[in-house]
Amino acid sequence: MNIIETKNLTKSYADFTAVSGVNLHIPKGTVYGFLGPNGAGKSTTMKMFLGLTKPTSGAFVIDGKKYLENRVEILKEVGSFIEAPAFYGNLSGEENLDIIRKILGLPKSAVPEALELVGLTQYKNRLAKKYSLGMKQRLGLASALIGKPPILILDEPTNGLDPVGIHEIRTLIRSLPQKFDCTVLVSSHLLSEIELMADNIGILNHGHLLFEGTLDQLKFNATAQGYPTDNLEDTFLALIDADNRQRGGAR
Amino acid sequence: MKFFSLVSIEFKKIRRSKILLILMVAAIILWLPSIFNADLNFGMQAEGISPENNFLIQGFMGMAWFMFPASMVVSTVLLNMTERSNKGILKMLSLPIATAELCLAKFVVLLALAAFQILMTALMYFVSAGIASQMQDYNFILQPLFVFKEAGLIFVSAIPMLAFFWLLSVCIKTPIFSIGIGLASIVPSVLIINTKAWFTYPMSYPFFVITSEYGKLATNLDTAQVEFIPWTPVAIVITILCLSVSCLRFGQAERR
Amino acid sequence: MSFSLECKKVKRTGFTPAFLFGGLLAAVVPVLNMAVRSENYLGIHAAPVQILLDANWQMMAMLNILLIVAGACLMYHTEYADNAIQKMCTLPIKESKLFFGKVTLMLLMCIVVLVIEAASIAFCSCHWFEMTSEVWIEVMKNFGYALLLMLPSALGSLFIASVCKNMWVSLGIGVVCVFTATMLPTRSFVLSLFPFALPFQIFAGTAENTACNFMIAAVVEIIIIGIAEVLFLKVRRSFE
Repeated sequence: MNIIETKNLTKSYADFTAVSGVNLHIPKGTVYGFLGPNGAGKSTTMKMFLGLTKPTSGAFVIDGKKYLENRVEILKEVGSFIEAPAFYGNLSGEENLDIIRKILGLPKSAVPEALELVGLTQYKNRLAKKYSLGMKQRLGLASALIGKPPILILDEPTNGLDPVGIHEIRTLIRSLPQKFDCTVLVSSHLLSEIELMADNIGILNHGHLLFEGTLDQLKFNATAQGYPTDNLEDTFLALIDADNRQRGGAR
Repeated sequence: MKFFSLVSIEFKKIRRSKILLILMVAAIILWLPSIFNADLNFGMQAEGISPENNFLIQGFMGMAWFMFPASMVVSTVLLNMTERSNKGILKMLSLPIATAELCLAKFVVLLALAAFQILMTALMYFVSAGIASQMQDYNFILQPLFVFKEAGLIFVSAIPMLAFFWLLSVCIKTPIFSIGIGLASIVPSVLIINTKAWFTYPMSYPFFVITSEYGKLATNLDTAQVEFIPWTPVAIVITILCLSVSCLRFGQAERR
Repeated sequence: MSFSLECKKVKRTGFTPAFLFGGLLAAVVPVLNMAVRSENYLGIHAAPVQILLDANWQMMAMLNILLIVAGACLMYHTEYADNAIQKMCTLPIKESKLFFGKVTLMLLMCIVVLVIEAASIAFCSCHWFEMTSEVWIEVMKNFGYALLLMLPSALGSLFIASVCKNMWVSLGIGVVCVFTATMLPTRSFVLSLFPFALPFQIFAGTAENTACNFMIAAVVEIIIIGIAEVLFLKVRRSFE
């Protein structure tokens, strides 16, 4: 069963199209890796899921609910993390989470749980504006994970973390479907990273969905089309490069 | 780097900030009541001021008392926020420029914004005086030289006040305090210009100067006149003090 | 609930001290005025509260309204500065709730400020005019009226602040509005209905039906601005 489905989802701005006719199918209880170079339209797609921008055309369904009529209903089920700094700088990490907790109507224990989950417990009393980039990132993750929502939308969650942190967060994301019975949509521009976390992947370039399926399917397709497959990063680069060339030699 | 190019960089930073629009709208709104109430200018025999002079001075007094100082507080907020909101200040501090020069360059931008608003007010005066002349069938338009002399007086007398506002915004990091103190300090200037110690309070300078101009033009009025001693030395000391403290303090909080 | 959240959000921004300090500053005005030149006022034949308000309210109201404008800008600045508003938009609440939470907090701060000022007026009436009986009723009436007439400008400045992402733009518009209010002729009833001009009105000495009209106008303005904000949020959402 697909928990998120989009149909010809399109977002155009005055001078360019960020997302064009994308059909995504995200199965329930899996980690879905959303892959693409910078500016491919990953964040825009995720923002549309959260109602932060309005689709120009097309539609999407999240857990059987349609956007606009059910905005608040959808958001009740979604924990999100979009573009690192989204917090109140004058409040401590704990206070930031407490605001979100109250809005979501969660018990008091949810805050320390979320802090513990991302390893921020010892910095909980520091002001958010004094956080390092990695800590801000962790605070953002905690604000997504708080209350264990059934759907998680994470936009490049490992940006700015150190190698240990990246590993920690990856393991955490990988374990979420089993632990909390949730679906995770995670974006990245590194295939090597997605490879370690995701069950399914979707590859986006210039707003178009190039591929959707499992990793094995990707390898199979790539071999069939004669792309290198011994290193997945090369496969990804070859795929993007071919697509760029097809689009009239952009770059 | 030359100081001049530093200033031009500072001007680039406030592009698309809509500040010029705000300053201009304020200058336009200033003259609207004067146009609608242009007939009141003919009833000033008691003061002994000619209608056209009264038209100009009343507008300039409205500007010098509240609109101009308050707009300048807004401008200092702008100059600071552009640096602080995306940590631009950190980048600037890591470049090979003297912080004091950076601080002064920003102050020059503030002066330019002040000059812009005063200029807009003067230009809008001619427009509104033209409209009022049509409506009342009486020539309200004064000699440009005289108008710009009055406008220039406001600008020069405002420099110590601007230095003080700049000091506030540099030294007080909590925005509401720097804004609050700035705006609140404008309000009492109506009272202070009537006291003997007006020259110690930079926020009242422009209003005092324009009020005394009013007194000069109105033959029957006996308003206090500008006495350059002790005003000028005090004003210079205040300006230098405010500017040097703000140059010293500029970027200190970010460097801790 | 959203009210308590708003209280939390303004922590460490200097919001509460600014209002307390602003209230005290405005409260000092009549005391100072009486202490320096009480002889100007003691001879006037009118109710002490009216004399005091006539003499000082222009300046006190000016301080109040500047405080409201700055406070409103600050409240939305904390939302926009570190992009917290985006997080709020991804949570299952209506954005308008955020606005009305802020309105409630602003209302509370207005009450605090007015109580401080009322105490100062009451003190002046008792101390210089030796008025003891019924001073509180008079003061309460006047400041209740002042509170109601202050609310349109509070909602208005919050509306402006919610529209503009940059603090200097909302502050600039607020300042221009306050300035416009000071330029409006007080004789004209229609013009003094401008939300930022209403707080300059005084209850004492105003004809009963005029005061009544002002109060009705204030309530209407509050409702209109509230609806405008809700509509604006809807429109903005569909354009983003």
